[in-house]
Amino acid sequence: MREQHPQLDHIGRRDFLTVSAAGLALASAPGLAAGQAKRSGEIAAGLSERMLTLDPANHYSISTTSVLRHLFDPLIDVTNDSKFVPALAETWRPVNNTTWRFTLRKGVTFHDGTPFNADSVVFTLKRVHDNTKLIKSFVYQDIESVEKDGDYGVIVTSKRPFGSLPAHLTMLGMLPPSAGRNEEAFFQKPIGTGPFRFASWTHGDQIAMTANPTYWKPGIPKVEKVTFRFIPELSTRTAALRAGELQVIDRVTPDLVETLKGTRGVKVLDVPAIEAQRWIFQLGREPVKDQRLRQAISLAIDRSVIIKELLRGYGRPVDSPVPPGLIGHTSLPPKVYDPEKARQILKQAGYSNVSVDIVLMKDFYPKQLEIAQAVAAMLGDVGIKLNIKNLEIAAAREQRTAGTYDLFFSGWAHMPHDPDWYFGQWFTKAGAEKLTRYTNPRVEQLIAEGRVPDPKVRQAKYEEIGRIVWDEDAELWLYYTVAIYGVSDRLRNFEARRDYYVLLSDVGIV
Amino acid sequence: MRTYILRRVAQSALTLLGVSVLVFVILRVLPGDPARMLLPDGAPESAVAELNRQLGLHEPLIVQYGLFLRSVAHGDFGQSFQYRAPALRVVLERLPATVQLTLAAMLVTIAVGVSLGIFTAVRRGTRYDVAGTIVAVLGQSLPNFWLGIMLILLFGVALRWLPTSGFASWTSLVLPAITLAAFPTALVARLTRSSMLEILNRDYIRTGRAKGLTEQSVVLRHALRNAAIPVLTVIGLQIGALLGGAVITESVFAWPGMGKLIVDAIFFRDFPVVQTVLILSATVFVAINLLVDLLYTVIDPRIRYL
Repeated sequence: MREQHPQLDHIGRRDFLTVSAAGLALASAPGLAAGQAKRSGEIAAGLSERMLTLDPANHYSISTTSVLRHLFDPLIDVTNDSKFVPALAETWRPVNNTTWRFTLRKGVTFHDGTPFNADSVVFTLKRVHDNTKLIKSFVYQDIESVEKDGDYGVIVTSKRPFGSLPAHLTMLGMLPPSAGRNEEAFFQKPIGTGPFRFASWTHGDQIAMTANPTYWKPGIPKVEKVTFRFIPELSTRTAALRAGELQVIDRVTPDLVETLKGTRGVKVLDVPAIEAQRWIFQLGREPVKDQRLRQAISLAIDRSVIIKELLRGYGRPVDSPVPPGLIGHTSLPPKVYDPEKARQILKQAGYSNVSVDIVLMKDFYPKQLEIAQAVAAMLGDVGIKLNIKNLEIAAAREQRTAGTYDLFFSGWAHMPHDPDWYFGQWFTKAGAEKLTRYTNPRVEQLIAEGRVPDPKVRQAKYEEIGRIVWDEDAELWLYYTVAIYGVSDRLRNFEARRDYYVLLSDVGIV
Repeated sequence: MRTYILRRVAQSALTLLGVSVLVFVILRVLPGDPARMLLPDGAPESAVAELNRQLGLHEPLIVQYGLFLRSVAHGDFGQSFQYRAPALRVVLERLPATVQLTLAAMLVTIAVGVSLGIFTAVRRGTRYDVAGTIVAVLGQSLPNFWLGIMLILLFGVALRWLPTSGFASWTSLVLPAITLAAFPTALVARLTRSSMLEILNRDYIRTGRAKGLTEQSVVLRHALRNAAIPVLTVIGLQIGALLGGAVITESVFAWPGMGKLIVDAIFFRDFPVVQTVLILSATVFVAINLLVDLLYTVIDPRIRYL
């Protein structure tokens, strides 16, 4: 031992001083304590849905929300278990049923050095309310006023209770007021307070961002650069991950899981999504306006076969219109498979040779045609003929608006981790006017009552709505979707999100 | 000659006007509402109506077309519904990638197709001819998307020699260019072969050989030059086909070109982008055909006097 490491026993005074000084210098280097010196490497992610805009208020795309989360911070973040946590707002509380007060984080700056304060929030919220050209504008129309309360306080009042406001704000990045001077130019090279700074983008193809070294959250981000590429073609996305060009891809379909698992350096992560596959009925139209027929359809479908055989286990039995974890979820009696009872109901109701049209948006959901065909066979068993109309997306939506369908193959991702939007859209007369034509005054009243900020009241009201529509078989609830991600094993701390977001701020690479 | 050129240019302009009417009308006859495609499912009807108004879709069709022609004349192709940016800018951003891919595929087509055609014609009936014909038939019968995916799996995933997708460096160009060129290469090879065979049997070729010209000179100077006219026509037409074929190739390789852009634009009823791409492609197509027609006059002087 002694001969192998002679210098260990013979460190001179000069050597000792040199080593000690270097150690001290390293320990006191700025940023090291915050973990910044550890930042290294870059990550490329492949997303299924194209990003069309860099304006946080002008889209409702899941991919875009998650990409823009890297450039802009919202006031509030949402965790994977649907808890709302501080981002640019440190605290928020309802002053009364129609007023929210937000206390903002101090010491945060935009990428150009401008300080973040109440002016930014007032500008961002007024913009999304006033500019009706913006896609998100309709959500914020209930807002009556947005006022500063000091430099770091904002008071938002609304025309009617707006309990889901914090949830919606998780999807809205805060802008500097200077963005208003020339919006078109601003959104070509946007500036936010986010963990990454904008570097470049090609419309709908890819966006690159570099680390924001002065980000307010210590130790974030973990890598120097992230690139998001938009690759709708799943086989291409998968090939790029397997070839090591991408480190993460979203929306993997169940039939590709084995291929990915068999690839060295790649792993598959999955998590039950906050999305329910629920097909909608055209409730204003014969024959499905008859609850007995809807009940028979529901009883005739063996959901476990769909989950096990077609989705290879990547689905979860549905037990409520609201997925578990979200406010308003309560476990309701399962939708069972009982073809005998279905036949009995059909017979009692006097249905024979009943025929039902289902409209599909072509290639929109994985395995949708196979699932529809399987359901057609199951319904055929009890004497219901299901006609599958697989139409191009725009044409299918046109039919939905016109109401020329009986069933429509659709899902609902409960963005933004709150069911108010879902209930308000699908179960109010005004919302469902060009969709399901649902109407029930009691449900309408409960939805209005459920808009208050008090979570206990909201939970109770949504539970009751859930029970009513569940018993009515107002929709055909099939299963909760499972979100599947393909991930390089070089990534550290990547979280498979239930909302399909791909968030890389806290992710490292080795 | 001058009248001929003028006539051809006028015909081309008329074609383009026809294309603009067709594109405009077909897009608007298609079922589907752009505003409804842009807004999420949860958007109220008032928001749909408001957005349609903002997009200028509430005007009568003829007024929309008039406004469209007027703005196109000023170089303004409108705002993309999806990207909320000038359609021309969105398209021009994608143009270089498409042009690079088309040129690379064209290069492969001409180099491989013509060489293979000459080679198999000169060695008619030999095993080289049979092998060349098999390659040509395969090239014409393999679907683009299948070939693309196979190339990705072999050279991208298994061997890792080339990038699987995207547009990073010249290496990204190799696989999509080969995929895109497969069909036209085979077509050009077969056409060159048959055209060469026909010429090689002509009397003047025999005369050339009899007077002692080298085989190289006979084939390349005398036979190929005469066999080139139908080949040139097909190559000209293939540029159009390549732009069209690029739609699938670009999707498979996530190539940020116009093909991928237009597929998405059609799905989402982004009229301004579809119009811009189609009108620009039609212009390129018409211009190339015009150029080919004019080139005939250089290759075959008899055409000047038609």
